[in-house]
Amino acid sequence: MNEIWGNESVNAIVWHWPIALYLFLAGLSSGAMMTALSVEWMNPKRKAPWDAFVKAGVLIAPITIIVGLIVLIFDLTKPLNFYQLLIHYNLKSVMSLGVLLLLFYTPLCAIYAILRFRLTLSKSFLWPVMNLFGGVLDFLEKNSLWFGRLVFALAGGVGVYTGFLLSAIQTYPLYNSPILPILFLASGLSSGIAACICFGILLFSEEVSKEKTKYLLTMDLRVIPIESLLLFALFVGLYFQGGDKALVVLSALSEGSWAMIFWVCVVGFSVVIPSVIALTALKNHAYKVNFILLNSISIMLGVFALRMYILYAGQLYLGA
Amino acid sequence: MMKYAMVFNSQKCIGCQSCSIACRSENKVPEGLYRLQVKIQGPKGVFPNLAFDYERFSCQMCENTPCVSVCPTHASFMDENGIVDIDANKCVGCLYCISACPYHARFLNPQTKVPDKCNFCKDTHLKLHGEPACVSVCPTDALVFGDLDNMNDPIYEILSKKNFTRKKEHLGTKPKLFTIPNKKGEIKL
Ligand code: SF4
Ligand code: SF4
Repeated sequence: MNEIWGNESVNAIVWHWPIALYLFLAGLSSGAMMTALSVEWMNPKRKAPWDAFVKAGVLIAPITIIVGLIVLIFDLTKPLNFYQLLIHYNLKSVMSLGVLLLLFYTPLCAIYAILRFRLTLSKSFLWPVMNLFGGVLDFLEKNSLWFGRLVFALAGGVGVYTGFLLSAIQTYPLYNSPILPILFLASGLSSGIAACICFGILLFSEEVSKEKTKYLLTMDLRVIPIESLLLFALFVGLYFQGGDKALVVLSALSEGSWAMIFWVCVVGFSVVIPSVIALTALKNHAYKVNFILLNSISIMLGVFALRMYILYAGQLYLGA
Repeated sequence: MMKYAMVFNSQKCIGCQSCSIACRSENKVPEGLYRLQVKIQGPKGVFPNLAFDYERFSCQMCENTPCVSVCPTHASFMDENGIVDIDANKCVGCLYCISACPYHARFLNPQTKVPDKCNFCKDTHLKLHGEPACVSVCPTDALVFGDLDNMNDPIYEILSKKNFTRKKEHLGTKPKLFTIPNKKGEIKL
């Protein structure tokens, strides 16, 4: 029936999949950078040749964040006004704080990657540029421990801010939870570890060490229970708030296609499949490349599904 | 310097929708989208004591504005008269304000590509005639527009004498759109 006061369901979904893609890529970038730096710091000498996972991580981090930002800008309804974000800042807005953070994180991340690929770049057609900035790069290399710590902190900031971006919104009960930033940080880290393993093996197979692979696989396995606990806490926390919020939890976990996506894609890809692989094929940390790749891809898919699920289910299930 | 506010007296409202139509034509609201809706529910109660409920949906002109605090560029702002408004030149269209408004009062205007909502006809009817279009067409005077900072304004008397409610008060947004609720109701368990 047409109500005389008009249609009620205009604008039901405000943010669409590009936002989920951005949230995923930003989390991936932050996780990959943190993973690369941790692996680098495990080696006391910290000198070239760099480990495959260091190389993969420092390469993934700038690429994913830049692609993510491009997606984000083109998703604005006024992409040409984008520069306004760089001139006006509202320190009460998580989005503005994010812009500030990314303003430092993105270039520093790229510079760190250049530092780690210095040798390769100096031999390429870019050698004049590399020579020009030789002094700066030497300086950064000498202080790369501190430079790395700064980038690590910024990466952590990027990992949590995407969660704060959503949790600041009171309109949607599923977003408005203090658990969300930690959940996003943890799942971003888990996708970052997975990406480092996957691309480390695929792109830099000569530098892969079994020992570090095992270390990262164990790390990723540890993040899974933490992530599951955070998801559990998110839903239980909302449920105990009662009223509308309890209804949101019940419908978000049991009704419609998004509940399906939660159980099949989020839980299936990021908890069940990795656990099964870890307990069977990779038992006792056996080094089986195909299963390691399968495991990492499954984790990355699961983390993307989580972003999609939170984004859409949050906007759809309002409890009222 | 004023603090504009509005009273929606649901006891006087008859659900005629003239306010909605006035709003549409005054502010050129695109087809299928709304700055203002008056929804009708009912009838409620037991015959012969029947009543309808009328509820106004529009920007609540919050005093503590979620939409303004999330806006990264200050494109959403509160002007010197307490009206929450949008500066199209500064807006990048991130739609953060649309999701942050707990009253679902904002929508994306497909023509301007900027969020749109009630602004008390700031640039149109209010500027020309001193009150929003919806207020001037209401046949039953269910809408009263005024200045909360002025003790002599009629809105002051109404708000000090009548019971009023504000939507989602637990959020602490302090809306400046006041509703005088229906007295007639039904017992529902
Ligand atoms: S009702 Fe929504 S758009 Fe209006 S002032 Fe409040 S938060 Fe902003
Ligand atoms: S859509 Fe425009 S007005 Fe709304 S928060 Fe973004 S920049 Fe501000």
